[in-house]
Parts: sequence; structure tokens; C-alpha cells
Amino acid sequence: MKMLEIIVNGLSTGAIYALLAMGFVLIFKSTGILNFAQGELAMVGAFMCFSFVMLLNIPYLVGFILSLAVGASLGAGIDFLFFRRMVGKPMFSTIMVTVGLAGVISSIAGFVWGHDVYSIKSPFTDRNLMIWGITISQGAICTICVSILLFTLFLLFFNRSLLGVAMRGAAEDPDTAGLMGINVNRIYMLAWAIGSVVAAMSGIFLAEQSFVRISMSHTGIQAMAAAILGGMDSIRGAIIGGAILGIAEGLAANYLSGLEFGSFHFGDIKEVAAFAIMIIILMIRPRGIFGKEKVERV
Amino acid sequence: MSEKIHTSYTNEIALFRTLWLKVWLCILLISLALCPYVLSRYQLSILNEMEIAIIGALGLNLLIGFTGQISLGHGAFLAIGAYSTALLTGNLNLPFIVSLPLSGLISALLGMVIGIPALRLKGLYLALGTLAFGFIVEYILFHWDVTKGDLGMSVKRIQFGSYIIRTETQYFYFITLVTAVSIVCAKNIARSKIGRSFLAIRDRDIAAEAMGIPLAKYKIMAFGLSSFYGGIAGCLIAHYQKWIVPGSFDMSVSIAYIAMIVLGGMGTILGSVFGAVFITGIPHGIVYMTDMLKESYPALTGLIVDFKLGIFGLIVVLALLFEPQGLAGIYRRVKIYWTTWPFRY
Repeated sequence: MKMLEIIVNGLSTGAIYALLAMGFVLIFKSTGILNFAQGELAMVGAFMCFSFVMLLNIPYLVGFILSLAVGASLGAGIDFLFFRRMVGKPMFSTIMVTVGLAGVISSIAGFVWGHDVYSIKSPFTDRNLMIWGITISQGAICTICVSILLFTLFLLFFNRSLLGVAMRGAAEDPDTAGLMGINVNRIYMLAWAIGSVVAAMSGIFLAEQSFVRISMSHTGIQAMAAAILGGMDSIRGAIIGGAILGIAEGLAANYLSGLEFGSFHFGDIKEVAAFAIMIIILMIRPRGIFGKEKVERV
Repeated sequence: MSEKIHTSYTNEIALFRTLWLKVWLCILLISLALCPYVLSRYQLSILNEMEIAIIGALGLNLLIGFTGQISLGHGAFLAIGAYSTALLTGNLNLPFIVSLPLSGLISALLGMVIGIPALRLKGLYLALGTLAFGFIVEYILFHWDVTKGDLGMSVKRIQFGSYIIRTETQYFYFITLVTAVSIVCAKNIARSKIGRSFLAIRDRDIAAEAMGIPLAKYKIMAFGLSSFYGGIAGCLIAHYQKWIVPGSFDMSVSIAYIAMIVLGGMGTILGSVFGAVFITGIPHGIVYMTDMLKESYPALTGLIVDFKLGIFGLIVVLALLFEPQGLAGIYRRVKIYWTTWPFRY
């Protein structure tokens, strides 16, 4: 019974990792940029939702949609201001720009909202469901449902719609895609907007399960482990990687926390479980479970 | 002062290419030697901080700028160096002259272990791996009883036999000596076969391997050298601050070091020096400015801590967007402009 509870709880954190990882994958798949500022975008989304719902007293659903809109424009703005000028630059430059942006965004957020801990009052707050004797919060169920829904939507989008196919084409070979009449700049901007919407959404769901604070952007880096686990260019991988990471973290927190080995005590293992998993995957199978192996041309 | 045209290969890679360079270096050394007589204690402490940062930045530049291997965990190597020397001098009572190279070596050893996966990983995967390594080192320092976690460790003063370094001036001369040696070593590495192999690996690793450069050896060597420099810098920080906590070697330190080499100029020794001086100087400059404005805006002082990371981030972003060659690139351009003036080339 306890095992089942750990798995269910792990799945609800895993759903958030999955959403964040999906944001990484969406941006990486279409633009080839690994966005280290994903956690910061999620944090801004959560803070926007907090400002709309708690400070301006806008109904929750409206506030939710408004913060997604802010997230989308933030992502599109980042692409327009920075990455449009960086097409064709080496990977080090693009990665470092996102790392720098992460610092800038969290500084500005700290200045605007301060370093206190807040919480958002939503329709799900303090409502739990009992299934087979296990308590699950409604927020967690909602997160899991939304991530499965989004997964199906993106799968349909990338395989069935013209725009989705254009996005895949632009990712495959930007030059050829441009010759085929695809507006690559617009595709990149769209990818950043969608990626940031998913990030903002995961930030709001994360706030649902814990609190709104500046340090919640840390979860973004942990979610990278999920993206790596599933494979950086696979949306299916992001979902499964997120679920595995969530459960593994839950198990580690339950069975390893508080253990002592000689003079080393584990304390809250949850902080580093994701990073340990990340290093192990990078050593064993860097492309992840579903990732495609890249063949390099000299 | 015209640019000499090199007629031989030895001349091209010489340490001091022109007579003027020697003259300027002498002037710099003399002015550095005179610094303690002119500057206040606070200003001297800023110089010390800058010089330690130069050592760390040299190491990171050898790895990122020369070899092209991305590392987001340089702070972890500083931490390893700092904690090594704290444990070696504190718990084992080793003399400082032994613990300084030893802490560098311990750091280099761990760096080489981290370098092994780098043989398979490239680009962003390496960035993620080093990032994860940084977090894990921080976690271990927090949770290992020997390193005392949050409480921090006290570190002894630097001691040679019975001579103990106490004042800021003594620290200054000692750190200047170590920094000068580090710069000369880095310059020599860069202009030797090793440095040229690093550059070849950065530009195209597969082609470098085809030309007969053993990739594994040189990649691991780059990681080892980089973390050796990081360990030395960490060791000096520990003995200079005399108190270390895991929190002072976190992710923001790694970002600050990346900002140094990006702003200074990647792949140049001069760039690491410029970058380290600027990035270390910026917070002090802000403190100086807010001190002047404190009467009219008292709330400003608290904001500096918040904005430090943001300013470093902004510097990285702007430098990469507008001046990827960094300050060293600007310096080179200005120099070429004036040597060929009034002609454009």
C-alpha cells in the first residue's frame, strides 16, 4: 500500500517534470537550442498567475489563461530579441545566452516580487480524492491529465498538421526548409512561444503542489534530467522520462533519506536524485531512451 | 611601435614578441610592487580578489576557450580545492607549501574523472553533466560530517616554516607571485604543442583526430589542467578568506567565471586577465556608486546582492551578441587600428 502511495505521489511530481521537459524538447527539437532558462520561465508564469489571481482578484481560470498569454509573449520576445540574431552561432554561444538570461530573469523577478514565499488559492486547493484508500489531491490529478492531453495534442500537431510538419522540417534542415517556402524565423518564434506556454503552465501546476517563490526555477534544471532520460528530441520521451524521474525521486526520498554511512548522512536526497540520475544516463546512454543517435558529418 | 613581421616560427611563438611588450610588463610589475604603498587596505583586498579570480579564469579558459569543452561546474573545482586545503592543513597538519599543489592535484584528479564521460559527450550533454556534477559536489559538502556542512570550516593562515602571512600587503605580494607564475605557465601551455592541439580539438575534433592528435589524452588533459587551476584558485580563496562554506561555491560562481572568459575573450590568455579584473571589479564598482547615492536612495544597497547574478548574466548575453571576441578582441582591433593609422589595413 505504501509503495502504491509513493508511486502515485511520484507520478504527480513526475507530471510536472514531464511538462517542463516537454517545453525543453519542443524548443530543442525545433530550434536546436537547449533552454537553460526554462525553470525561470516557469517561475515567471507562476508569479504572473499569483499576481492576477491573488493581487488583482481575477477569477482563477481567467488568470491562468492570462499568465499563459504572458508566457507566450515572453518566449516569442526572447526569440525576437536574442536568438534571431544568433542563428548559425556555435552551440556554446546559444547555451550561454540562455544561462545568462536565466540569471537576468531571476534577478528581475526577485526585484519585482521579492524573495518571500507565496501560494495561489485555486479551485483545487485543499481538495483531495480518495481512491482505494490513497489520498490524491485534485491538483495532482489535473496535472497528470493535462500533461497526457498536451502529449496527445502535440503528437497530433507534429504528425498531422501542416504547421507541425513545417516545424519538423525547419528543425531538420533550416536552409532547405527556407527554400521550400517555410518562414523559418516565424517557426522558431512559434516554437519559443509554445515552449514558454508549456513552461508557464508547469510553473502554475508546480505552485499548486508547493509554493510560489524565486527558487522554484531550480526545478527546471532537475527536469532536464527527465528530458535527457527520455531523449532530448522526443516528446514521448519527455512524458515517460518525467514519470520515471518522479517515481525514482519519490522512492529515493522514502528509502534513502535520513540514512547514514559513516560520517556521511544523506539528508534530503530529493535535491540531488535528479542530478545523480542525469549523470548516470549521460554515462550509459547519452541519447536517452527514445532519442535518435546523431550521425556527424565532417 | 610598428608590428614586427615574423620571419621564423620561433619568433612567431616567442613569449615576448616585441621589446615594447617587455617594457610594458616591467612597468606593470613595478606599479604592482608599489601598489601597497599607495592603495588603502580595502583597495588592496579588491586586487587580491581579482588576482585569485585570474587564476580560476585562466583554467576555465583553457577548457572552454582553447579546447571548446563546455563546463558549467567550475565552481565545484574551486570548492574541491578550497576544502582539500582546509582538510589537509587543518586535519592532517600539512604545511601550506605542500597543500597548495596537493589541493590543485586533487581537484585535477576529480576533473579528469569528470573528463572521461566528456570523451563520449559533446556540447550540450557535457554542459548538463558538468552542471549536475556542480550540484552533487555542493550536496556532498553540505551532508558530509568532515566538511561540517552549513557551519563552514575555518582555514589556517598561510605559513612557511615560522613565517606567517598576516597583513593584506603580505597576501598581496604572495598572491601576485602565484598569479604571475600561473599566467606564464598558461601562456606557455597555450603556445606549445599542447595548446595547438587544444585549438585543433576546439575547431573540429574529428579532423583533429584524423591529423593524429589523440583526442582522449588531450581532452582529459584539458579537464585536468582546468580543474588544477580551479583547485589552486580555491585553495588561495580558502586561505585568504580563512572561512569557507559550501554556499560560496555554488552555481552563481560558475556563471561568474563563465562571464569572465566570455567578456574577456575566449581562447586568449590576455582575455582571462581582462575578464577576471572586470567581473570582480563590477560589484565593487556598484558598491562604490551606491555608497555615493545612499543618502538620497537608502534602499539601493540591498539590491546589489539581487542584481549581481542578473548583471553577470546580462554581460554574458550582451558580450555574446555584440562582441563575441570579448575585451581582448576589442584591444586587438584598437591596437591594429593605431599601428596602421591612417591607413585602414
